[in-house]
Amino acid sequence: MHYRFIIACLLFPLLAQASDVQRKFNPQTGIESVQVEHPGFSLKLLPLSPDFVSAVFSARGLPKDIVDATRHYCVFGTILKNTGQLPLHYRLTDWRYVTPDGKTHYLKTKTQWLEEWKERSLAFRWVLLYEEQTYQPGDWGQGFTTLPLQAGSQFDLTYSWTQGGKIYEDKIKAVHCAPAKAPDA
Amino acid sequence: MKTRSKPFIAHRPKRLMPDKLAAATLILAAWLVPAAAFAALGHELSRLPVPVGAPDFTLEDMDGKPYTLSSLRGKVVMVNFWATWCPPCREEIPSMETVYRALHDKGFIVLAINQWETPDHVFSYMGQLEVYPSFPILFDRDSHVSESFGVKGLPTTLLINKQGRVVYRAIGGRNFNHSDVRKLIQQLIDAPE
Repeated sequence: MHYRFIIACLLFPLLAQASDVQRKFNPQTGIESVQVEHPGFSLKLLPLSPDFVSAVFSARGLPKDIVDATRHYCVFGTILKNTGQLPLHYRLTDWRYVTPDGKTHYLKTKTQWLEEWKERSLAFRWVLLYEEQTYQPGDWGQGFTTLPLQAGSQFDLTYSWTQGGKIYEDKIKAVHCAPAKAPDA
Repeated sequence: MKTRSKPFIAHRPKRLMPDKLAAATLILAAWLVPAAAFAALGHELSRLPVPVGAPDFTLEDMDGKPYTLSSLRGKVVMVNFWATWCPPCREEIPSMETVYRALHDKGFIVLAINQWETPDHVFSYMGQLEVYPSFPILFDRDSHVSESFGVKGLPTTLLINKQGRVVYRAIGGRNFNHSDVRKLIQQLIDAPE
């Protein structure tokens, strides 16, 4: 019995908790949001249209070339929350996604964006979700997460977090980027 | 030292919000509003294992009046980092105002430190609020103060004791008028210096 437990621990270093996945599709916008609830951790992904994202960056005064560049990214309004009683740590650099061609990719982080912008003294950064943070019980945060994918793309997202000294990992299948235009546009 | 800002409405001519900024605020709110609904405001504040000295700063309010954190030693200070486009920031303002009004005569002050926005923009926004904040709104235009506190997201709120040490922290919106939070602030007020 004892050996079985050790073997199980070796074979499954990343724990997958039971999750509750809810999807909401808006036929008018063509956007499907996804929300997952784990014991102690919740995540919501709200796909944002390229028009919306470029309007946000444009309105904050970013140069046109940067605003145009954001149109080539799949952007999500992302909300993370510690719903448990232990500190939670997330690191977006560990998150990855698999496209239909089977290739694995990583998110473009806030640090990477700021690195691109640093020569141009662009201070607007609060809207991007910080890539690594510790949330105490009750803490939560929100911000944009970006993937270098075209509008309407589909992928499987593997996400992870640490809580109570354990690393958790799970996958959301068939996440959709917002379409370039609403279906009835 | 005077610790309460004057109502700035009497001092600044009201200007229309620039179209682009208004648009940004509205569209950001559009996706963030469901976010607020997703995470209804709780009231938990995390106590730091070891209180840490708060980095000192001097920032101006709407009227250009400077506030220096170290000059508030002896008071309990709630430092809140926020922006107008951030719905949980907006949502928690009324609770901050209520607890500020209840406790500011006892030695409690709120400093709401806006990130990256202009006084004109914030002024226009404040005119739309039902609950008008009477606590000082300060401007950290280049975010150097939020960086010195290690703030990574908005809103973030810190409670600083009378010795100038950060003792509690909250990341994300909160209901500060909850009885647990008020009790906690009162304990800090009552604590010996």
